[in-house]
Amino acid sequence: MSELFLVFLVTGVLGIILVLINKILGPKKSNPTKNTPFECGSPYLQDRITPVPIKYYLVAFLFLLFDVEVVFLFPWALVFKKIGSPALIYMAVYILILALGFIYAWKKGAFLWEK
Amino acid sequence: MNTYTALYPILTIVTGALLIILLEVFLKKEKKDYLGFIAVLFLLASGAECIKFWNKGFSYFEGTLLLDKFALFFFLIMILTVIFITLISLKYLSLQHTDHGEYYGLLLFALSGMMIMVSSRDFLVIFLGLEVLSMASYALAGLKRDDERSSEAAIKYFLLGSFASAFLVFGIALLYGAVFSTDISTIMNFFHVETNFSLMALTGMAFIIIGFGFKIAVVPFHMWTPDVYQGSPTPVTAFFSVGPKAAGFAVLMRIFFPFWKEAVNSEIFFHILWILSVLTMVVGNLVALRQKNVKRILAYSSIAHAGYILVAILAGDNSGLLFYLTVYLFMNIGAFSAVIALSRKGKEFLELEDYSGIGFRYPWIGATFTVFLFSLAGFPPTGGFLAKFYIFSSAVHKGLVPLVIIGVLASLISVFYYLRIVIYMYMREPTRNVVIFSYNPALFLVLFLCLYGVLMLGIFPGNILLYIKQAVAPLAF
Repeated sequence: MSELFLVFLVTGVLGIILVLINKILGPKKSNPTKNTPFECGSPYLQDRITPVPIKYYLVAFLFLLFDVEVVFLFPWALVFKKIGSPALIYMAVYILILALGFIYAWKKGAFLWEK
Repeated sequence: MNTYTALYPILTIVTGALLIILLEVFLKKEKKDYLGFIAVLFLLASGAECIKFWNKGFSYFEGTLLLDKFALFFFLIMILTVIFITLISLKYLSLQHTDHGEYYGLLLFALSGMMIMVSSRDFLVIFLGLEVLSMASYALAGLKRDDERSSEAAIKYFLLGSFASAFLVFGIALLYGAVFSTDISTIMNFFHVETNFSLMALTGMAFIIIGFGFKIAVVPFHMWTPDVYQGSPTPVTAFFSVGPKAAGFAVLMRIFFPFWKEAVNSEIFFHILWILSVLTMVVGNLVALRQKNVKRILAYSSIAHAGYILVAILAGDNSGLLFYLTVYLFMNIGAFSAVIALSRKGKEFLELEDYSGIGFRYPWIGATFTVFLFSLAGFPPTGGFLAKFYIFSSAVHKGLVPLVIIGVLASLISVFYYLRIVIYMYMREPTRNVVIFSYNPALFLVLFLCLYGVLMLGIFPGNILLYIKQAVAPLAF
């Protein structure tokens, strides 16, 4: 056990030393060209990071919601016989709430690609 | 009696929230005010159910849903809070271009989360309620979508809040590992029986304190408070400073009331909470001295008040704590509604400079705001004085004299910054042209109701204390 620990210690410390020694001993000569992002030799094309519209995230959210809903349907189906008819009401209420959310998202235009 | 009867107060709130969310997409933009009235209607219905349940003492789902008087009292406090918040935000939302109808729905969802929190004895259900509350709160904080500060507040609240929730869950897991139960009374029983030092259970308790310390903004975990309070829309700030705090303290009361009496190793937690309380009172009040923004002053003042309430938890004075929370509801929401009153379309007046000369220009707002500030500082004819008096005197009876001395000194410091606002309102020449939108009947109704509450509780506290005594009785079983 202790040998194993020693192996991890040695390799870990060695790894840290090897990374750090470069930082400590290596010469630091910096110039503006060196600091620019690498762009295959050509001048840098973009001057900053521009926000990209992620239209898919709403659909992804809603997918997640209904995915989880289906996950809950499986255990419900398994115990359905044991609980009896109230089980149907429980699930109906649950799905009704989800459906309300769905209507809300729909009316708010979550599924319109071009807005 | 049917099991589901016990769910009625919470179900009413959730139904109202869902209805509002649904109506929001079908109603025209000019008619968004109706949603607020619908919310108030559902809140009143839920409140009526709570009053009807008062003497029944329901306990369902094996103690995971307790409708004892303690829970019902908190239900009523929170429902009253949300009614007030709804009324003060009716005009505010359209004036500040934040008229999203979801606002009322989110408030009701947050309320349902708080109700679940205070009405349970099971840590997992409490956590569920906390998450329902938190999710709604994050969205509420970022409601001013075109405002940078509001978005910052939402992100900050979300990141730090989920971090704190993680601590809480980890604490629950550790406690479960030690005790094999998530039920508070079973856990307390374990602490009672177990005489030797169980590191796992104690770590779990410590993590749970961190989780709730974040929600009630106790000092080492208070970093989010000023920024979130400043960035959020002002009615939401008022809600944050009262609602979640009351819920967090309710849970702490359920945990710590049996803990002090029974646990063998409660000594450690007593010292931890002692230090937290002192830090909260001192840091909250000292930092507030240097603030120039009224919302930030009120944020630090709400941190300091959490410190005073922690004194009540240390002293085991439950009725004092409930009384303090009740008074705090009236005075804090009152102060915030005075701040909200000083706004016009697209502009809120939040700098101290803006308040110069307000007392003469808008005498009603100035006068009521002054009363609320006096109450927050703890001046005699108001409820704030009695609340502090009860807490500190019961702490002295328990022999916590150093803590009380620090508390009194801290509240002496607080007088400075509360009175500074009053001095600006009455003793400075107006330097800025402050013109407000003054036709806001719902807000003035809340202002005067809060004024009534603060003065009533200060002069005739007997009636409410009677109910509070009944409410804390179930904790003592």
